[in-house]
Amino acid sequence: MKQNIRAILALLLCAACVVCTAGCASTDTPDGGSAEQQTPVGEAEEEIPAEEPFVPSLPSDTAATVHVAGHYNNFEALEAEFDRFNEYYPDVELSYTYLDNYNGTIEVVLSGAEAPDIFFSYPWMLEREDLKSVIETAEDLSDPSLGLNLSCIQEKLLYRDADGKIPILPVFCTTYGMLVNEAIFEKEGLNIPRTYDELLSVCGALQKAGYSSPMMGYSRGSFMLFPLSFPYFCAEIQGNEEALENLNALTPGAGEYARDALALAADFLGRGYIDMDACGALENDYQAVILRFFEGDVPMMLATAGTVSGTEKRESLSDAYIAHPFKYSYHPVPSTDAGGYFLNQLSMGFSVNRNSENLDMANEFMRFLTRTEELSRMAQVKRMVTPCRDMSFDGVYTSFGALSGGHVIYLSDVGLEDAPDQQMRRAGTRICNGSMTVDEAVAAFGTLEN
Amino acid sequence: MKGMRFGKRAWIIAVNSLIILSVIAFVAAYAGKYNRDYVSTRVRAFEDRTFAEEQITANYLRGEQQLCDSWAAYIRANSLTMEEAVSFVRSSLTNNGVTAAVLYADTPEMDGLSASPKNGTEDDYSVSYRQIHLFPEDGIGGGEGDLPNGRINITRAYTNPINGIQSIAFYDRVTVNEGDAARQALLLRIVPTTLLEKQWVFPKEEFQNAEVSLIDEEGNYIIRSNSFKNTNFYEFYKSYNTTDLAGIEALKDTVASSTGSLVMRNSRDQECLVAYTPMQDSEGWSILAYLRMEDLGTGSVDWLLIGVVTAGLLLLLLVDAAVMLNFNRRLRAAVKEADAANRAKTDFLSTMSHDIRTPMNAIIGLTAIAEKNLDDRDSVSDCLRKIGMAGSHLLTLINDILDISKVESGRLTLNAADFSIVDTAENLVNLSAPMVKEKNIRFNFRTSGIEKEWLCADQLRLNQIYINLLSNAVKYTEPGGSVSVSLKEEPAEEEGDVLLTYVVADTGIGMTPEFMAKMYQPFSRQTDSRVNTIQGTGLGLAITKQMVELMNGTIDCESAPGQGTTFTVKLKLPAAKRKTAEMSLPDADVLVVDDDEVLCETAVDTLHSLGAQAESAAGAEEALEKILGRHREGHDWSVIILDWKMPGMNGAELARRIRQEIGDGVPILLVSAYDWTDIEEEAKAAGVNGFVSKPLFRSTLYQKLSDLLGREASANEAEDDNSDLAGMKILVAEDNDINWEIISMLMQMNGIDCDRAENGQIAVDTVRDAPADRYDLIFMDIQMPVMNGLDATRAIRALPVGHAKSIPIIAMTADAFSENVAECIDAGMNGHIAKPIDINIVLKEIRKIKENQ
Repeated sequence: MKQNIRAILALLLCAACVVCTAGCASTDTPDGGSAEQQTPVGEAEEEIPAEEPFVPSLPSDTAATVHVAGHYNNFEALEAEFDRFNEYYPDVELSYTYLDNYNGTIEVVLSGAEAPDIFFSYPWMLEREDLKSVIETAEDLSDPSLGLNLSCIQEKLLYRDADGKIPILPVFCTTYGMLVNEAIFEKEGLNIPRTYDELLSVCGALQKAGYSSPMMGYSRGSFMLFPLSFPYFCAEIQGNEEALENLNALTPGAGEYARDALALAADFLGRGYIDMDACGALENDYQAVILRFFEGDVPMMLATAGTVSGTEKRESLSDAYIAHPFKYSYHPVPSTDAGGYFLNQLSMGFSVNRNSENLDMANEFMRFLTRTEELSRMAQVKRMVTPCRDMSFDGVYTSFGALSGGHVIYLSDVGLEDAPDQQMRRAGTRICNGSMTVDEAVAAFGTLEN
Repeated sequence: MKGMRFGKRAWIIAVNSLIILSVIAFVAAYAGKYNRDYVSTRVRAFEDRTFAEEQITANYLRGEQQLCDSWAAYIRANSLTMEEAVSFVRSSLTNNGVTAAVLYADTPEMDGLSASPKNGTEDDYSVSYRQIHLFPEDGIGGGEGDLPNGRINITRAYTNPINGIQSIAFYDRVTVNEGDAARQALLLRIVPTTLLEKQWVFPKEEFQNAEVSLIDEEGNYIIRSNSFKNTNFYEFYKSYNTTDLAGIEALKDTVASSTGSLVMRNSRDQECLVAYTPMQDSEGWSILAYLRMEDLGTGSVDWLLIGVVTAGLLLLLLVDAAVMLNFNRRLRAAVKEADAANRAKTDFLSTMSHDIRTPMNAIIGLTAIAEKNLDDRDSVSDCLRKIGMAGSHLLTLINDILDISKVESGRLTLNAADFSIVDTAENLVNLSAPMVKEKNIRFNFRTSGIEKEWLCADQLRLNQIYINLLSNAVKYTEPGGSVSVSLKEEPAEEEGDVLLTYVVADTGIGMTPEFMAKMYQPFSRQTDSRVNTIQGTGLGLAITKQMVELMNGTIDCESAPGQGTTFTVKLKLPAAKRKTAEMSLPDADVLVVDDDEVLCETAVDTLHSLGAQAESAAGAEEALEKILGRHREGHDWSVIILDWKMPGMNGAELARRIRQEIGDGVPILLVSAYDWTDIEEEAKAAGVNGFVSKPLFRSTLYQKLSDLLGREASANEAEDDNSDLAGMKILVAEDNDINWEIISMLMQMNGIDCDRAENGQIAVDTVRDAPADRYDLIFMDIQMPVMNGLDATRAIRALPVGHAKSIPIIAMTADAFSENVAECIDAGMNGHIAKPIDINIVLKEIRKIKENQ
């Protein structure tokens, strides 16, 4: 009997050891890889202070409703945060609503009878006169009385209005790059290109191997090679006050500052590594691009981080991918001999409606979110880039974590406003569709219409 | 053996555990099945409720559509312009949040006029739905009347560009006049989803927390409740459940075409039940009802049931095990006791065999010796005396065996009758005197407080108690030791009762605590090298305790090895109504001389109670002084009572001195603790006139003093003089020749004539035929051939002759139990004498009968 008891105890101890060992193991990521800690880029290299755990400031039995409105059709990452917040405040009902024509309706919605407590906001809203009332509706998140730990967020992503207030809590960042089918590279014995020359060489090799369009991207009415040219463009003008001033003012001749970037696009386009017809068949720059990439015959697909965010969920929607799954990753597009750029750009943020009937709880939810743990979790679920100082790149973004120094650029540092950004896109679109040469586009820069 | 026992125990535990596990498994399986059935029933009910909800929803939507259609019909019928149409619908609106718009349908701009102004304006009614994407980019196509009648035309939920409120819109095609031309347009009846949600809720009575949504064929929510995440149901499903494209397509087909339910996981990884049913009037649309499985009412009850059953079974097992262990322990103890009892009985039988053979050996041996020496009268006499002693011992043995047999069978009953406690005490003293004298033991017997002489109890058993304890004390006391007996009478709490306390203290061998723990068990005898020759049955104390308890009394014992033993028996007995005979000695003037101060005081008190004058003297010197003093005064004591043993001068010497000093005028009574036969000659020579034994009971003193003072004592009979019985005639019904010979000889020796009846029938016939005065008495044996004694007695009492009913019949039988006595009395007998017969008892009975006649 005693031996049996000892045997049971031994088994229990073994089980406990196994459980503990499992608990110490690496955390699985959505793509099945391990969450390897990467060296933070840019300012993330500074020492990051430890954060205090979230402590509710309101009675836990407070009943309230918090309504978030935005332009994402689906926002599982936020809904997961609702559930986590409910662990502290079980009587708070949180909901998310997709608004049609968000940019066109948010002002009306905020002034309506069903105004949200929290709404999506973007840096460009700060510059738009027609959306001035939207930003004015937003709570100043830098108000110390709110208790938000904004220090966990990269300073360069915190946008301030004219009064120095911070109306937007950065939630997701985006960047530009290319999705790489690693299986093809492995099959063809190629390395993922790190420089522009390598890119050209790889494209040539792939084309010889039978891949008619080694590079693809969404081209309908947009600048398909924007992920190649725009980071390069930003790197070129960063710190050039004169260039920036002229570009933002769209002064005549400012297009010269964009020449190199546009020429880079034209050069690559001219190499014939892109099948424009195949790219033109892509109906949109999101699901269509992803599903085309999952067909498995596209070595490289130009995409924004926003597009990458939809990849995991759509793996199950692709019969080809289900039949022949492959490893893929997201990389900066190599535009120079020194490599590509990580252009870090705020994709979306949250603002609190200061006219909210549930202002205290809305601010409490924002205080809950403004922590590395929660924001990074959301970014991980959404497969976007986290705005936190501790970026901890993982999964498909690993190669971005390897960049440093001048190859990490913050759009806010560049200081480029929306107008020259749009001109750059329009010029590139025209070059890609062959309606303008580089010279013509440069000359017309500042006057190009959509 | 131990291994076998352990193996059996393990086997029993294993079987019990198996049974418990089987029961638990059965309960779990049953609970699981019950749970599944319950869930299945609830799921069906939920599906049915969802189907019913579809009817309600359809009715509601149909009603809204009809309102929209009626507006459209009016606009169409009256060929209104855009402004007129909007003005008309505006006038038709109530203030419940519902609004309307008319949009041009022939342009991708989808612009038009709203019935209410844009937020923040008072007169801006323009509106565009281009960016809302409610309709196909190329318009809804067709012409007026293309939308089939009865169909519900409804948009998904969208953000109303006029007021920013999430709404759905019912629509119908209209034409509006614009100059001479007619343009196609859409009329929208716009209902806020909040308003819809208030009216369109899942009934909470049956399924609390249930929610309902409406989706189109692609899964886009037309109406969405809170728990339905994403903007598309299938996106919601994909987000938290594993599936593939084919699975989603199959799910779409199922949801759009049938009524049923599915179980899925929500954003919190909880299991949820989603029931679906297609909307009949809207192709591709489906109603979805949502409920968390835990809200379906399953889960905890089963575990509670299993837990309770498990705990109950374990508790039962533990209780059973405890009870079984207790039973086993008690069984082992009982077996041990039974083994011990068997051993004790075996030992007892062995002892009895020895103890019975010993006196039998004496009887047989002495009988043989007597036969050989018939001519030697002294030798024969000695043999007969010893045979009698051996017989008596044998009888005691047999009586004890009978008693313990009755004790063990619980048939020992008491026959209460009036008796004299004084007689009992005297009897005790008389019985113990020979033993005490033989063993040279100091014996002291004291009584106190005997106010009520006549009590009511089973005297036989009381004597047995007292004699047992006293004879034990004497038996276990070595020569030179002492035995003290105290008998005290006190009034009891209950009126009419007395408390008799009987204390026997000896200086004998005492008892060990171990022996005291079992001394009341039958067949127990204290063994000691000093007393190994002590004879006894080992039944005395057992019988004594049983009898004391039967008489509702208590018996206590204090003892230590080598320090003697003290037994205390307390009995509460009722006093008899019978009064002590009137005794008075008013003329007596008595001097009591004893060194025992207590005895002196007791005696003086007793004499005072008899009306006598009395004084005491503590010793011979004081006594002589008082006697001489009185003599000089010419006022001698009428009687002087002297103790035999006194320090300095004993009773005989003092008597001699008294006679020397005052002559023979004053009677002297000598007190002795034992019988006085040894000192009788010396005492009488010294001038003693009579003898009396301690203790000095009232009746004893009265009788002795009366004798000395010349009074008649009523009960003063000469023990050996049975001449008064001579001439009596007795019929003896006895089938045994030897017994007949013994009784007839004993009777003849006392001048009593006997006739024999060999059985009961002869006895009956003899009585019937005999004259009335032929027999004074019948001795009736019980067990006889032809007719037993009981039947014979009944027959005699039933005889038609007069004397048959009154003639005394005394049972004379070896059936010695009390129930046998009771049977005899019930049959009509007048008394009972147990065999072997004691001639003195027989004569006493005969005398009683003669006196009654």
